[in-house]
Amino acid sequence: MAAPFITLTIGLPWLGALAVWIAGDQHPKAQHALAVLFAVAGGLSGLALLTTTGAEVAIRLPVGGAFGDFTFVADGLGVFLAVIATVIGSLAVIFSVEYMKGEAQLGRYYAFVLLFIGAMAGLALTGSLLLLFFFWEVTALTSYALISFHNDDPKAVAGGIKALLMTQLGGVGLLAGALLIYAHLGSYDISAFLAGADALPPDLRALIAFGFLAAAAAKSAQAPFHTWLPDAMEAPTPVSALIHAATMVNAGVYLLARFFPAFESVPGWSTAVVIIGMVTALLAAVMALVADDLKRVLAYSTVSQLGYMVFAIGCGSVLAGQFHLFSHAVFKALLFLGAGAVIHAIGTRDMHQMGGLGKHMPLVRGVFVIGAGALAGIPILNGFWSKELILETGLAHGPLWGYIGMLIGAGLTALYTARMVWLVFYGEPRSHHHAHDARPAMAIPLVLLAVGTLTTWLLFGPFGALLAEAVPGLHEESTLDFVTKVVSDPATLLALGVVAIGLLAWQQRSRLSPIAAGLRALEQAAKQGFGFEAINRFVARMTRSAATVLQRTQTGELNWNAAGIAGALLIVLIILAGGGTR
Amino acid sequence: MSLSPLAIVLLAVTLLLGVGFYGLLVARNLIKLIVVLQILAKAAMLAFVAAGYGQEHMGLAQSMVAMVIVADTVVAVIALALAVQVRRHYGTLDVRKLTTLRG
Amino acid sequence: MALWTSSLHPFLWLIVIPVLASPVVYLAGRLAGAALARWLALIALIVTCAPCVLAAQELAANGAATFTLGLVQLQFDGLSLLLAGLALGLGTSVTLFSNAYMRGETGEEKYYAALLAMIGVMVGLGCANDLFNLWVWFEAMAVSSYMLVAFYRDQPASLEAGVKYLVQSAAGSVLVLLGIAAVFGATGQLSLASIADSVRQAGATQATSAGLLAAGALMTVGFGVKAALVPLHTWLPDAHSQAPSGISAMLSGVVIEAGLIALLRAVSALLGEGDAVARFGQLLLLFAALNMMLGNLLALKQTQVKRMLAFSSLSHMGYMLLGFGVAAYTGQSAAAQGGMFHMLSHGLMKGLAFLAAGALLYTLYVAKGAHGPLMVNDLNGAARRYPLAALALGVAVLGLAGLPPLVGFMSKWQIFVGGFQAGDTLVALLVIFAALNSVLSLAYYAPLVNAMYRREPSHAVRLGAAMPPTMIVPLVVMSILVIALGVWPTLIAWLTEPAGQALLAGW
Repeated sequence: MAAPFITLTIGLPWLGALAVWIAGDQHPKAQHALAVLFAVAGGLSGLALLTTTGAEVAIRLPVGGAFGDFTFVADGLGVFLAVIATVIGSLAVIFSVEYMKGEAQLGRYYAFVLLFIGAMAGLALTGSLLLLFFFWEVTALTSYALISFHNDDPKAVAGGIKALLMTQLGGVGLLAGALLIYAHLGSYDISAFLAGADALPPDLRALIAFGFLAAAAAKSAQAPFHTWLPDAMEAPTPVSALIHAATMVNAGVYLLARFFPAFESVPGWSTAVVIIGMVTALLAAVMALVADDLKRVLAYSTVSQLGYMVFAIGCGSVLAGQFHLFSHAVFKALLFLGAGAVIHAIGTRDMHQMGGLGKHMPLVRGVFVIGAGALAGIPILNGFWSKELILETGLAHGPLWGYIGMLIGAGLTALYTARMVWLVFYGEPRSHHHAHDARPAMAIPLVLLAVGTLTTWLLFGPFGALLAEAVPGLHEESTLDFVTKVVSDPATLLALGVVAIGLLAWQQRSRLSPIAAGLRALEQAAKQGFGFEAINRFVARMTRSAATVLQRTQTGELNWNAAGIAGALLIVLIILAGGGTR
Repeated sequence: MSLSPLAIVLLAVTLLLGVGFYGLLVARNLIKLIVVLQILAKAAMLAFVAAGYGQEHMGLAQSMVAMVIVADTVVAVIALALAVQVRRHYGTLDVRKLTTLRG
Repeated sequence: MALWTSSLHPFLWLIVIPVLASPVVYLAGRLAGAALARWLALIALIVTCAPCVLAAQELAANGAATFTLGLVQLQFDGLSLLLAGLALGLGTSVTLFSNAYMRGETGEEKYYAALLAMIGVMVGLGCANDLFNLWVWFEAMAVSSYMLVAFYRDQPASLEAGVKYLVQSAAGSVLVLLGIAAVFGATGQLSLASIADSVRQAGATQATSAGLLAAGALMTVGFGVKAALVPLHTWLPDAHSQAPSGISAMLSGVVIEAGLIALLRAVSALLGEGDAVARFGQLLLLFAALNMMLGNLLALKQTQVKRMLAFSSLSHMGYMLLGFGVAAYTGQSAAAQGGMFHMLSHGLMKGLAFLAAGALLYTLYVAKGAHGPLMVNDLNGAARRYPLAALALGVAVLGLAGLPPLVGFMSKWQIFVGGFQAGDTLVALLVIFAALNSVLSLAYYAPLVNAMYRREPSHAVRLGAAMPPTMIVPLVVMSILVIALGVWPTLIAWLTEPAGQALLAGW
């Protein structure tokens, strides 16, 4: 049943990539039209998948050998992520029509965006570990290509390569885990692993669990791998919205959710997930508070919100994590596209050169404030409900320190959100620019996403039902029950109080300046990325100096080269004579 | 003290090899290096003779040695031709001056 | 006439046609002009593809075939087919590519003659069934490649590379000969099969096993020079970067692989059973680690495109060694097949990379009579003027780094599967080391791709010549193969599976 839709959901964007490339850069209008056409068709096909979900294998392509079967499954968890990817993908493509107008090399841009959408759908819908890793890497490749789309900008190139290297580094964990599973079960089938995980030796399962965790942390920009995401903001803004806010960075969370049933009993794993989520959420929130670049603030906030999702999974609630993923994908795409409209209008990302833009861009301000409200956790926007769900899960099932940490994080979120909105849209203009409001191609996605931000929480009931068939032991309930529970829970009041304190803190910032002065050291540390950048630089430097040392061995002198032959002969003789056994 | 013919030949092989490897490590002149390669090849040929003698397969060994001589000569010719060109373009045959390609 | 057609197995034509065509092409070029040589060489190789298909079918139907002429016996098995397919396929592409690249060089007919000879003797090398015969093919391959590496006789750098390549290879060749003499002296045998038999039966006296041990070491190092095992590799970056680009593709794509096949064939016969095979596997794994590490780290420091690709060949030799090492160490068939698959996929990708880089080198320099090295900076903005060549180079290097949906991902995957199935902690750690090395390799491949897609073209690109269609055709065909095999890896299983089995059968 689901097979044709799966094929279309992955295949249409990929066909579109080919079509746009063939259309050629001489025909930008055709490229825009083709990209929108194929992206929207992919989105529709993704939505159609919602009607045909099921846990059984829908497509099975026997490849054989060490490659097993290539399988695709359209279960609730996967279809959900595929829908997010294709629908938000098509909105980002529509937005690009205006945003990328007049750019050179559009073919490359659209081809990679469409390639990404298809790969992301594939990542979500595959039932084979090999294909999971395959699509995982394809999304990394496209993300790299799009971050450094403006190849003449050294920062863009560096950002792209950094993102690629860091996600790949973590990806080695997924590779090793998948290979371990295959070596022991003889199959790449994900459901077979989930069913048979308990039979695996405990230490082996622990290795797989932590390998997957490393991969997820790298992909979802969790500490200590989070440093690539802010640097990825050199990408064109629709790409940031799509890949680095709404979809690809969610792949890590998806991975944890997908394999949670197999790993939850691994000693220490849940705690490690909780710690990673909490530390990331807090660190990134502080960094968002001191950043000056609008897109970087949004990037840190993405890192921080992903921390919330990871935290939720660590506390044992896949539903809470995925529900926040849903809300976040919508409101963060809205925020990024809104920021894109601002940046497109005035040509800078520095918030200190903005201010007072609300007067010129009322529509953008309106939708941005809605998105910001959802981020800050203000009722009744979708971010409020999903964050409450996470906090309550943390209180009920997680360690108390975790709950307190996340509560503080909620306050910080409100504070930096207020700062961002204020610096961009309110106050006095700090530089001269002729801002214009969003034109239709930009306005349509913005309005749609704003409506989504206002309403997606109403889907809680069906959402739970969708996931329940894919995630064993998931506790689903109707939207009404959920709303009643949240509203009547005293913890909600506590959380709202913390959010209010955060908002108040920004309003009263002049009175709080002595405290801010006292925290100068923290601010400095945050601007330095809390030392994680230094680790990256250290590793890069060590690699380079190792290379420099080794380079001296390539002397180019023939006698020295001959010495290599004599030396190797000696070593080989010694090894063969001494030798070990099998 | 008397050595068996096989031992004498093997001794000669070892000696030639020693000279050859020593030469590879220290010879700076390209022509000398080519001579050293010839010495090494002669060691291999002698080794074949020794092996043929020990296994009483002298005919086979001889035909192989003949083949090696042919191949070896071809290599030597190419090497010398290269040496001529090197002398022409670098103005020297010192291999330690032939280090523009490195690192 | 009946004897002529019936007693000659199709695989013999694979050797005979190119080897006989070689002098014909030379004479034709001499007498009737280089244009004839150019096209004759191409036709000869295309004609050879027919017996290649026949031989492959025959192999699938009837198993390995042998042909005996006096003392010389040739055997065509899975490993031979793999090497023949690779040499012919890449050789045809290179010949077509060289059509424009080498046009007008002095001694063009020699180039084609040597190239054809090299292809023919490489097929022969794959079929050699006794040690001395193996050495003869090996030496013939070396001699033809000497001439090709130092083809630009007026380029000092090319001469320097040629000298180093020749001296080191000749030293290696002597070691191989000594090894053969040692085997001959210890067992009185030369045929690979009878050596293996006598090693197994004899139970080995003290003197014999010492002789065999020395022979194993001598042949590992001797063939290892050609296969560029670290620390025997020092000639490779020079030779592969200075040779004409088509030859760089052949050297990196087939010749070092042929060296490895010779090594595996020769040493396998000496091992007997059990411990010695495992020990040999450990040795290969050691070289695998060295090759991957040194190749990648040094490639990181390069600013010349072809030299970078040459160092990357070292690291890819490491991946192949990893596959074969695991196969020997633990008897894993997936690893052996993976090693074979990587041999093919590396030949394809590295061949494509050198040809694409060569196409750019041609348009930016060679076409204008200049011989400067192609620097990474020269590639700036190349994609706008040469979209297909840039795309091909991008596909090739990203495939080499192991990104999907390109064939490098799949062949590395197969090796890694074998490594993990071995169930040995050290091997698993080595596989992870290999995976980390792949990540590291992106650190030098990615900037290359970024440079090509810049908007601002480099000086060289701005002044570049047009790219001839005969160069673009092989690039496009090979790129499509790289992608197709990356999506459906078992399309090539008919080549890699018999090769893997042939290798394992020797242990």
